[in-house]
Formats: sequence, C-alpha cells, structure tokens
Amino acid sequence: MGRRLLTIPAAAIAIGFGLITLAGLVVGNDLGFLSTLVSLFGVRPMTDILLQLVVITVAVTVLIGIANLITVHFGRIRQRKGGWGYSVVLMISTLAVIILTILERANILSGSPSITTILLENVQVSIESALAGLLLFSLVYGAFRTLRNRFTGWGVLFTLALLIVLIAALPLPGFQLISNVRDWLMDVPVSAGARGILLGIALATVVAGVRVLTGQDRSYRE
Amino acid sequence: MEQIGLWAGFILTLMIFSYILGDNVLYRLAVYIFAGLSAGYIAIVTWDSVLRPWINGTILSPGAGIGGIILGAIPLVIGALLLLKFSPRFGRLGNIALAFIIGVGTAVALVGAITGTLLPLVSSTGSSIAVNRVNGILLVIGVVCTLVYFQYLARRTSSGKIQRGLHVRAMGFVGQGVIVVTLGAVYAAAILTSLTIFSERVSFLLTRISGG
Repeated sequence: MGRRLLTIPAAAIAIGFGLITLAGLVVGNDLGFLSTLVSLFGVRPMTDILLQLVVITVAVTVLIGIANLITVHFGRIRQRKGGWGYSVVLMISTLAVIILTILERANILSGSPSITTILLENVQVSIESALAGLLLFSLVYGAFRTLRNRFTGWGVLFTLALLIVLIAALPLPGFQLISNVRDWLMDVPVSAGARGILLGIALATVVAGVRVLTGQDRSYRE
Repeated sequence: MEQIGLWAGFILTLMIFSYILGDNVLYRLAVYIFAGLSAGYIAIVTWDSVLRPWINGTILSPGAGIGGIILGAIPLVIGALLLLKFSPRFGRLGNIALAFIIGVGTAVALVGAITGTLLPLVSSTGSSIAVNRVNGILLVIGVVCTLVYFQYLARRTSSGKIQRGLHVRAMGFVGQGVIVVTLGAVYAAAILTSLTIFSERVSFLLTRISGG
C-alpha cells in the first residue's frame, strides 16, 4: 500500500511539472485564452526556474557519479581485487587534477601555463587523440570482418558507398567522376537516409514524450 | 614544465598505440589515467561553471531571503533523494526525484524534437524540390522510404500469413538501400576522420623524436 502511495506523487510530479514546462516553452503571446492563462499563472517564469533546477540537479548527479567512481575504486583497492593497481592510477589522476586545481586557486602553485592547463592540453588531449586515432584500426578491421563473414547484396552496396567516399577523398588527379558521384551520393541518398533516421528519432521522441506526459509510461517507478 | 607535459603526451600516445599489438598493461594504464583525469576535470568544471555560481547566487547570497535559500537547496535535496535509489528500503523515495527530472526533461525533449528536428527537416526537405527538381524529388522519396522501412504494420492475408502490403515492402526495400548507402558513407567519414587524427598523432610522435 505504502509503495503504491509513493508511485502516485511520482506520477503527479512527472506529469504536472512536464505539462507546466511544456506550456511555458510552447505557448507564445498569440494563442488567445491559453496565452492569458499562461501569463496569469506565471508559467513562463516558473518554467525558467524548473529548467534551472533540472540543470543544477543534473550537475549534482554528475558529482554523485564521480563520487561513486572514486568509492568503487577505493573499495577495489581496499579489497585488493584483480586489477586494483589500475584503480590506484585512476584515483591518483583524479585526485591530482582536483588537488592541483585547488592549489592553483589558492595561489600556492603558479606558473604560465598552469600545471592543470598542461595536464589538459598535453596529457588529456594526447590520450583522447590517440584513442580516436586507434579507432581507425577498429573501423577498418570491423568492415573487413563484416564483409568476410556475410557476403550479401546490401554488404556490396555498403562497401561501394564506403569505397566511393574514401576514394573521392584522395587528393589525386583523374578522380573527377568519382568525386562527382560522391557529391551526388552525399546530396541525395545519404542526405535522405540521414533525414529519414533523424525524423524517425524525432517522431519516436514525440511518441515517448506524449506517453510520459499522459502517464502511460512510468519508467521512473522502478 | 611544458616540455615534461609534451613528453608525457608522447609516452601516453605510444602506450595507447601499443593496443595495435593487443590488449596490454601499458594501454590499460593509459586508459585509466585518461578516465581519472576526465573525472577530475568534469568534477571541477561542474563545480566551477554550474554549482558554485548557483550556490553563491542563492544559498550564500547576502540578499537571499528564506525563499532563495529554499530554492537553492532544492537541487541538493533532489540529488540526495537520488542517492536513496541505492537503498532497497528507501529506493522509492528516489523515484520522486527521478520523476521530476524525467517530467521536465520530457517536455524539453518534446519541444526540441518538434521545433528543432521535425519542423526544420520537413520544411527543408520539401523546399529542396524548388532548388533542384530531380534531386529534390529523389530526396523526398528517399526520406519517405526510409521512414516506411522502420514501420512494421502488417495485415493477415486470406491464407493466414501475416504480410506487409506490396507497395510498403517495395518502399521499405528502397528505404533499406538508402539506409545502407547512408551508413556506408557515414562509416567512410568516420574512417577519414580517424585517419586524419591518426596521422596528426604520428606527426606529433615524429616531431618529438626528431627534437622539434
């Protein structure tokens, strides 16, 4: 009974605040009675506050997530679980960034560029770029494996589109025709496919949103 | 200090590239360093750009009345309620916080999907016919067929078989082709992007080795 009682306010909160936000975002000044109603109840300022509250709450959840990450790895170190050495490295790098930033703010550490900037630009960005570069091997190997395991008509079409775009990117003379085909591919079928997929996602978002706001979807109960 | 940073970047890049030879300790170390640094930076940016200004402007603001303090504390209370999701006994209290986020988030997503994606895309797709008639019509056909491909409504035939109509199947077939070409082109673009980044990293390694 108590459990059931707790789901009712949750649904009321989701639907109520959702509808208020929707009204504040959608209803303009030219909708007659609706606009008057929205102005009368101060829905637009309320929507602004609600949006701010959600942004701050998400920021709080990000900090909770990072605190959880540190707690989990601290537990792994304490229990000497497999790979705990990696957890030590992770904890040191996380705490190093936070402590160095605090020391810089307190003017205990100084220098131009600052140590945290060097860490960000030379260490973090280097690793990020190297990981993105490593993706090249995974992508090429993945395409190769897909074609080797399943040779179908769609696979051939996929490879053709892939090769045309890749070959057209080569800065060599004599590829004008392929370059033109690539331009047409990007302008028509690729653009159509991308638009179709985006429209599908948007339509699905609308359907899911309406289901939540009408109380048919209550995924927050679990 | 900057030279130390550059050499650290050099060593970490090599550690990441060692994955080409297979999963190994060096690669994992670099990845954990990356995860740690990212977590640290995200924490700092979140605190500096979002939470500190909010707390200073509400709870710690000299002119804040009781209303301002309560308003400032609401997200912190919601965050605390979310923490209760870990508890089997009080987990349902966390649902209230989650419902608030989902309710407001859904409204924003709904408005964003309609005004940011649906209306502009439909409008630009329709107006593309005016720019180039043949390509515009092909584009509209491609978009419609792509959308048809993702619908699975079918009717039962007299023989009892459940089947989509012929025209829907034909349009779905064209749509599948359009999606395959799109994914092929996107895959190629991803390869080109990663190739560009990879060559930049190799250039960085060579510059470091040659003492540049």
